[in-house]
Amino acid sequence: MRRKEVNERSPVRLLEASIHGGLGAGNIAAVVARHGVGKTAFLVGVALDDLMRGRKVLHVSLEEPSERVRSFYDEIFSDLAHERELEDVWRVRLELERNRRIHSYLDGTFSIAKLRDAIYMNRDHGDFHPVAIMLDGFPFADTTVAEIDELRAIAEELDAELWMTAVTHRDDETDENGLPAPVAGLADRIDVILQMAHDTKAVHISLLKDHDNPDVPDLKLALDPTTMLLRRER
Amino acid sequence: MFSDLSKVRNIGISAHIDSGKTTLTERILFYTDRIRKIHDVKGKDGIGATMDSMELERERGITIASAATYCQWDGHHINIIDTPGHVDFTIEVERSLRVLDGAVMVLCAVAGVQSQSLTVDRQMRRYKVPRLAFINKADRSGANPYRVVEELKEKLKLNAVLMQLPIGLEADHIGVVDLVEMRALYFEGDNGETVREDAIPEHMLDAAEEKRNEIIEAASMFNDELLEAALEDNVTSEQIHAGVRRGVLDLGLTPVFVGSAYKNKGVQPLLDAVIRYLPDPTEIENVALDLDDNEREFKVEVDPKQPLIALAFKLDEGRFGQLTYVRIYQGTLKKGDTIFNSRMSRDIRVGRLVRMHADEMEDIESAAAGDIVALFGIDCATGDTFTANRRAVAMSSIHVPEPVIHIAIKSKDRKTEGNVAKALARFVKEDPTFRTRVDEESAETIISGMGELHLDVYIERMKREYNAEVETGQPQVAYREAISRRAEFDYTHKKQTGGSGQYGRVAGYVEPFDAGDFDFVNEIRGGVIPTEYIPAVEKGFRTAMDKGKLIGFPVTGLRVCINDGAAHAVDSSDMAFQAAARGAFNEVYNKSRPQILEPIMRVAVEGPGEFQGAFVRSVMQRRGVIVGTTESEGFVRVEADVPLSMMFGYSTDLRSSTQGKAEYTMEFAKYAPVPAEISEELIKKFRTETDSRGN
Repeated sequence: MRRKEVNERSPVRLLEASIHGGLGAGNIAAVVARHGVGKTAFLVGVALDDLMRGRKVLHVSLEEPSERVRSFYDEIFSDLAHERELEDVWRVRLELERNRRIHSYLDGTFSIAKLRDAIYMNRDHGDFHPVAIMLDGFPFADTTVAEIDELRAIAEELDAELWMTAVTHRDDETDENGLPAPVAGLADRIDVILQMAHDTKAVHISLLKDHDNPDVPDLKLALDPTTMLLRRER
Repeated sequence: MFSDLSKVRNIGISAHIDSGKTTLTERILFYTDRIRKIHDVKGKDGIGATMDSMELERERGITIASAATYCQWDGHHINIIDTPGHVDFTIEVERSLRVLDGAVMVLCAVAGVQSQSLTVDRQMRRYKVPRLAFINKADRSGANPYRVVEELKEKLKLNAVLMQLPIGLEADHIGVVDLVEMRALYFEGDNGETVREDAIPEHMLDAAEEKRNEIIEAASMFNDELLEAALEDNVTSEQIHAGVRRGVLDLGLTPVFVGSAYKNKGVQPLLDAVIRYLPDPTEIENVALDLDDNEREFKVEVDPKQPLIALAFKLDEGRFGQLTYVRIYQGTLKKGDTIFNSRMSRDIRVGRLVRMHADEMEDIESAAAGDIVALFGIDCATGDTFTANRRAVAMSSIHVPEPVIHIAIKSKDRKTEGNVAKALARFVKEDPTFRTRVDEESAETIISGMGELHLDVYIERMKREYNAEVETGQPQVAYREAISRRAEFDYTHKKQTGGSGQYGRVAGYVEPFDAGDFDFVNEIRGGVIPTEYIPAVEKGFRTAMDKGKLIGFPVTGLRVCINDGAAHAVDSSDMAFQAAARGAFNEVYNKSRPQILEPIMRVAVEGPGEFQGAFVRSVMQRRGVIVGTTESEGFVRVEADVPLSMMFGYSTDLRSSTQGKAEYTMEFAKYAPVPAEISEELIKKFRTETDSRGN
């Protein structure tokens, strides 16, 4: 299959359709799930879709060293290439690597100011203009509205989408809109909220918030727990 | 031979260069009575540790070649494959990982997880090797095993569980607390050979209790019985062992042991752990490829009664002659058997079968599936598969990267030229990433490999083992040339003056080809070029590709399609068509917009956080592209793709710009086009050189 077809048939199209044309530049999405459900795999899936179209992505991890993030991409990409029988795998992989940057901030070394510096350094000295920033492991539980606004400002300035992950815990409560604890108080600051939960067969991804749309559509999207690939749900 | 495979362990000891791996191996051999005396690496007695069989390794205090040795412990048979630590020799590491069933990862209690540990970790994951960790050098000043455990968790993301507590650290390190049996172990006697059990020191009881609970918690994930027992609070040691073992086999848990090999502390309990937690050969699944059935994968059966399948993973030419180390995957290998080398399609008689212990050996009659032994005086190369009944089977091939660096060498003394040739012939067989050839124009001998250090080691070995000193030229990067667009050709080779004539016409097109070096497509219709000449056409293109027109380096990634041509009833010949193809290549090459490719290395630099700027600058100055950075407390790691040609002298620069506080690793990543201005420079240089040679 050619990469264009892989993109056209990508389950990410389904997500885009459900959230009315995609997240949109300058907007923030949060993916909420318990530990170990596959939030990183989801981010990588969305990022690969952009990368496969020749767009640039910045992946920021607060949990894994950059080398591990890279091998995550490598594994999910090779599963994807294998499953879709992608043509020109070698060439596509080279291009993906050129268009992807990974920054890891471990042991609490992360700060929004640092992220901003790194982004501008990449842009101004490395001519790197990402269309999406994947921010994995941001400490939602301790964050403030002001910080989220700061992140939004960065996304707006860069004209990039910002995808973030948020961890929920077993006894976290949900608010009246069905939003789980870490994002409950921030609903008006986040444009799209997704939730991942698994049963014995697959990891189901549901939509909790879609921009300002009052009727949140049903999302028929899942993550295959063995290949970690996104797929449409039957 | 042994009847019970559950009592066999094939293990590797894998680690960073200075973590004391060789000393640990030496101690293991001592405690298992394989050697009578302890020597230290770089020993004062000039003898050196037993595992480093090459003199050079002794001098440098590092292990280059992976010698295999065996020992016995508690009724078990342990084959130890010593693996090299430096990244320039990763082919050796990978080759040994292929034949291991489990590994002991040695870490330094002071330095902890370093960049090389990360590389080795990635290889272990790739080959799914279950492992234990041993935190060595607990006697050194600054030793902190607890921090190393945290690094195992954070940097390598291993579920590391401390199985022992050190009793005293640095100069006070005297023993360990066994957290499963809840006892203290002291190592007494001149060489720590007597293990004395005692009660846990009073002040450590609480910590021991707490750490023991951590083990139970981690291990109960892998053993339901243990989980239930833990809830009822009547856990037995057996249940803990079973849980830890399952966790190790599932690659879900890494038990960590502590000690100091040099000070003879903690080695015997580590041996117990190897037997207790690492898998026997039947617990690891290995697949082979059926060469008669399109390389179909099938599972080998670890059964002495099945037909033989064995892999040659290491050649070694020592004072006994040529030895071939083999891992037997299936069947039985007997002295006097005739076996089949599936790559060479050749029968081989097994004259002598030996079991190796570093530099000494022991003759044996037979060996069975699961074992590692050596064959004597057999002609083969590393990676060859041996089978019974002339069966065409290969153990899945080990990926061999193309060499990326060349150096011209010349004997300092004419008398030793023969020795150089002998040495090169042997190195090529031992190491698939080492190549040698004679340059046609300069008549120089060129050696190629994976990095500067890689070639240095062979140059030194020539001197030491073959008494052949060589002069070396400047290291050269192995460039490639490749076309970047499709172009058509139509070329007629005609020579009809005097004698028999030559005539051949070929037409078609060339285009970039991704999947390999060369692809030849024959679309000739109606026999305008008679079939008998087609191979000559292909050969003509292949020869022309050996030297690109830009800078004389090999052309890669080329597809040639021929779709028209003409032949002459009398004047056409193989030679004429080869010449026509070469002419066509010359004609079409410049039209297809050729470019120069250079090897790009994946470089990882790491060190204290204050050097982040210095790292980024050092990489950018070398035309590097940053692919990732990792910051953690006080520490930063920058990964980048950097052209190999820019990496010469990097270690010196890095040392001076960071006061020796940073280190780096480098691996071949890919080939990529060089920037235009550098390409022009290279072309200019090539032209001047060829002009000065007068052609």
